[in-house]
Amino acid sequence: MNNLAKRQQHSLRSHLTPGRPAPFSRPGWQLWPGFAIAGALVLLSLAGLGALVWEASLPDISQLWQSRYLRTVVSFTIWQAFLSVLLSLLVAIPIARILARQPAFSGRAFLLRLMELSLVLPSIVAVSGLVSVYGRQGWFTGFASDWFGASWNLYGINGIVLAHVFFNAPLAARILLQAIEGAPPSQLRVAAQLGLGRWWYWRAVEWPAIKPVLPGVAALVFTLCFTSFAIVMTLGGGPAATTIEVAIYQSLRFEFDSGQAALLAMVQLIICGFLWWLAARRGLTASLLPDRRVASHRTKAGSSLRARFADGTILGLFVLFLVMPLLAILIRGLPGMGSAFFPLGSFAVNPALLDATMRSLAIALPAGLMSVCAALLILACGTTSKRPAITRLTDVAAYLPLMIPPLVLGTGLFLLFRPSLGSSNEGLVLVTLINAMMALPFVLQMLKGPLGSLDSASRQQADQLGILGWYRWRWLHWPRMRKPLALAMAYGTGLSLGDFGVIALFGTPGQPTLPVLLYQQLGSYRMDAAAATGLWLVLLLLVLFSVFNRLGSPLHKTGLATKSPRSVPEPEHA
Amino acid sequence: MLEVRNLVFAYPDQESPWNFDFTVEPGQCIAVHGASGSGKSTLMNLLAGFLEPQSGDILWQDKSLRHHAPWQRPMTSVFQEHNLFEHLSVDANIGLGIHPGLKLTPRNQQAIDEGLQSVGLDGFGKRLPGDLSGGQRQRVALLRAILRQQPVLLLDEPLTGLDSDARDLLRQLLLDQKARGTLIVLASHDDEDRRILADNIYKL
Repeated sequence: MNNLAKRQQHSLRSHLTPGRPAPFSRPGWQLWPGFAIAGALVLLSLAGLGALVWEASLPDISQLWQSRYLRTVVSFTIWQAFLSVLLSLLVAIPIARILARQPAFSGRAFLLRLMELSLVLPSIVAVSGLVSVYGRQGWFTGFASDWFGASWNLYGINGIVLAHVFFNAPLAARILLQAIEGAPPSQLRVAAQLGLGRWWYWRAVEWPAIKPVLPGVAALVFTLCFTSFAIVMTLGGGPAATTIEVAIYQSLRFEFDSGQAALLAMVQLIICGFLWWLAARRGLTASLLPDRRVASHRTKAGSSLRARFADGTILGLFVLFLVMPLLAILIRGLPGMGSAFFPLGSFAVNPALLDATMRSLAIALPAGLMSVCAALLILACGTTSKRPAITRLTDVAAYLPLMIPPLVLGTGLFLLFRPSLGSSNEGLVLVTLINAMMALPFVLQMLKGPLGSLDSASRQQADQLGILGWYRWRWLHWPRMRKPLALAMAYGTGLSLGDFGVIALFGTPGQPTLPVLLYQQLGSYRMDAAAATGLWLVLLLLVLFSVFNRLGSPLHKTGLATKSPRSVPEPEHA
Repeated sequence: MLEVRNLVFAYPDQESPWNFDFTVEPGQCIAVHGASGSGKSTLMNLLAGFLEPQSGDILWQDKSLRHHAPWQRPMTSVFQEHNLFEHLSVDANIGLGIHPGLKLTPRNQQAIDEGLQSVGLDGFGKRLPGDLSGGQRQRVALLRAILRQQPVLLLDEPLTGLDSDARDLLRQLLLDQKARGTLIVLASHDDEDRRILADNIYKL
């Protein structure tokens, strides 16, 4: 047998009898861990809800329409969420259109980052900024009263809707902008060639682009406002402005009526579940978070000077709307920072602030990490599985945390594990777990696009070359995923860092996290200290984002792979 | 010997299925010829294991490959384009053909360097595919296929769109491979390619 024949024999042998397989290359590795996590999430959620129902025995459902209080709570929750969605979209649509029309102006990137910040800005901090601007003594209120004689009460539905618009209009605008920028380039070219006016440009390009995502965006904003807790707690101002989530908190914390809490939780689950079922059924949940990988098409800028001036004015007002509360947080917090860290001129760092910071990080970092790991495994399972039932399970697991009130979940799980839960530290573990679950839908959306970005040609190549399992992750996915993973980790951690829902129920007053400390300081009218704590929380978030940004960027070349800013469309960073 | 026996395949909306049947010996090149849409690329994908046939079989040295995954088949494909991982350097792209985890020995690295030299790409190892011309990218893809040392090369329009110098160089590389006993299945529209490289024509 000549050498060539030997070589061919060798090649055949080595390929027809499997050699040493790539680590984790069996399909089960991609399927079962994610399936187990998705199953556990669904089971935990149902078990939490079930434990609450079991413990309390559900009150008569007729209470929902017989009890005036419950009727008011449910109808107010729906009404404020509806108003918030309407106003958020009324702001978001023009802003998205202007940003798409004006693809190159200085400060655009800053504005986009600012709009994304709304997702992680702790509600309780933002509320303190909003109070400084729109409260009784606020800048805007003073200006409006002096110039227009207008009076305005922030507390009640006004404040709740305003805060919801502050949080959700930028998020909705960012998603709608992405949809407009994703319009087929050929369509944009034809529209530019024909010189379509604004109305026809809207009809021909913008509306067809945003129409498919609009119901999903509305569902997302509705759910976020429907389940809003910290904003309603701080700006609600009384029983007339109580939402389901706050009523659940009051039932559990003050009235010890877990039956009523369970009933309200189920109403919330049914309403949000129905909404998401409708959205998912029509495939409307495909792209509900900003994906920075989508390149901005350089479409025509506003044609006339007047049009550009109008665009600039609207954008300017929007920037003011976003920046003023942040500026207020900075201006009010800065003078108190010194005394917040070093009380009474002492050189020792304030132990209360330090402890709260460490406690917040001890909860937020593991929660962020858990949400990212769970999201990756669930996504891998959803994409690997060919069984519709498993894919559906991963979808349900992904959106369930948006629908089940974290307070209910936490209480149910607390009741379930009560025999083995003793110390407050174990309560904090539960808080970490629930925070990770709450961040999951957002983290999952962030990773979904980049994980699915491997094109079919690359997949075929990888299949043929045997780049499977760990090797595929290391050489093909990791270079694309490094930055989105760091960003997702930052968002997951940031969401948990600002949590003032679960912790309000399970935290002990003597061991507060930063948002709880802030709430306590607001409650005891220590406004300077509260402003400083709020600013510290925001600074901590910014540090967190820049640290993860740094971690997401390659420090040096590894192996034979080189960084490629051009060929792999990776997201920029906040 | 590669035997394709009554390999039947049809896409869901296709009225009459394709039926492929031919045999090729090692060291020979069979050119698959046919109009656009006649099934050339489909045949290549069936051979590589990217598509599942409805019936029939593929045999390599009398052993069925029908149920083998793409990475278990003794074949390497080179397409008209999209042959390289855009985010990895030329070295890494070739190295992944030698070891799927890029665990390369110094000898492997030496083979890559010598290979690059032989195809006129000395010093291009650290570049990204995006920095190369079409002809250079195809040379890298072909070099990876050669260094992978599989007995069958599946070439789907690998020279289309290249300038004459690049075509001449790649044709010479393929002739060298044939001389070394590599079996080539070539799908090409080009008469010149078929004339120079093919021993047999399989008309679709």
